[in-house]
Amino acid sequence: MEIELVTFGKISELIPNQKIEVEASNTDELQTNLEQLFPNLASMKYKLALNKDIVQSTQELRNNDIIAIMPPFSGG
Amino acid sequence: MRYNNERYSRQLILQGFGEPAQSRLADARVLVIGAGGLGCPALQYLVSSGVGSIGIIDDDIVSVSNLHRQVLFTTDDIGRLKVEVSSERLQRINPEVDITIYPFKIDSSNVIEVLNGYDFIFDGSDNFTARYLVNDASTLLKKPLIFAAVSGYEGQLAIFNIAGERDERTNYRDLFPIQPKDGEILNCAENGVLGVLPGIIGAMAAGEIIKLITKIGRPLINTLRHYNLLSGEQYEMNISPGANYTLPKTKAELSSIQYGDVDQDAENYTEISAIDLKSLREQSTTLVIDVRERHEYPKLHDKEILPVPLSELESLLAKDISEQNIVFLCQHGIRSATAAELFNEKYGDLKNIYSVKGGITKWSNYF
Repeated sequence: MEIELVTFGKISELIPNQKIEVEASNTDELQTNLEQLFPNLASMKYKLALNKDIVQSTQELRNNDIIAIMPPFSGG
Repeated sequence: MRYNNERYSRQLILQGFGEPAQSRLADARVLVIGAGGLGCPALQYLVSSGVGSIGIIDDDIVSVSNLHRQVLFTTDDIGRLKVEVSSERLQRINPEVDITIYPFKIDSSNVIEVLNGYDFIFDGSDNFTARYLVNDASTLLKKPLIFAAVSGYEGQLAIFNIAGERDERTNYRDLFPIQPKDGEILNCAENGVLGVLPGIIGAMAAGEIIKLITKIGRPLINTLRHYNLLSGEQYEMNISPGANYTLPKTKAELSSIQYGDVDQDAENYTEISAIDLKSLREQSTTLVIDVRERHEYPKLHDKEILPVPLSELESLLAKDISEQNIVFLCQHGIRSATAAELFNEKYGDLKNIYSVKGGITKWSNYF
């Protein structure tokens, strides 16, 4: 299925906004796929949001879902 | 009369604002953590709008590299305490506001006492140690926390510890349960920030605080706003409570948590000055490694300083190094300390590991 990725901060240098074709039925599987596709992601801190809801436990994925990948910022 | 009506006349005549809202502002007590890029603009608007009591906590002094974004300060203020300069400027903007300054670093021994005197906490600090400490303390005390942070061209803004529509309260650990290690995520000093960006985010934060106090509009409760200055886009995400963390439940528990850097005494690498580095290189075989990323300025002309960005350090860790002394260097001495810690784990007492304290910025004449 097709998933749209929206990325922020340092993660957007690694993964620009894009649509990707993945075999994943939920956000946990997607996370594993993403870390295989983008190995540097595995060592970074980030949070996922599925269709603008922060993911706290694995969520079912549907075609054309939007996944945001957000790192923490500390600057002030 | 508690406040000068003329001063606030343009907001008093607003529909949906008026005397009740202005009175709520006059009664409110807001603590601003960090008088930096976010704190300066937030303070200006909180003070101008007539928030009755304001606390400012910051132990830092004004430096020239602050001035492009910390708009309360002038070139003449370099070297002065930020809280003192802020208080003077703000008091001139609005003498009706009661301003209290705390010229020290917020830590687990003082956080409860400082936060206790305020109804709303604004976190405009510049490091994760302060952010996690303030988050946990605000949550423990059930105080509304307005969170703002910036990096590069992007900013984040959220309100925590206030029940939303579904009666759920969230805090920063619902986004990032575990505090990142020092050097794991770059801060403004390390990563850079466009001056106007914290101005926008800090002003947005002041707007949210004023909405919360005056009970107008729809504040960003349980919502994380992400703002990208380059695209002008805002992306808002709904935050729900997560389950994979525990928060301190008592003040004693909070003060037992190690938020800060590992205790200096526990480290086996040594922090040195650029002057020490010079004599060290003259005395014995010394490998100097610049762990900054390749795009960072200033470029170093010393050909004997090996550039190995922190992100590529693992490869060097696997190799054998013949020099007895290994010295790490970066912009401010934060990433170099991380690198020194990493190498210390491998070499222990076999080699002497150093980090240049204050980095290239502090010792610019030496590099």
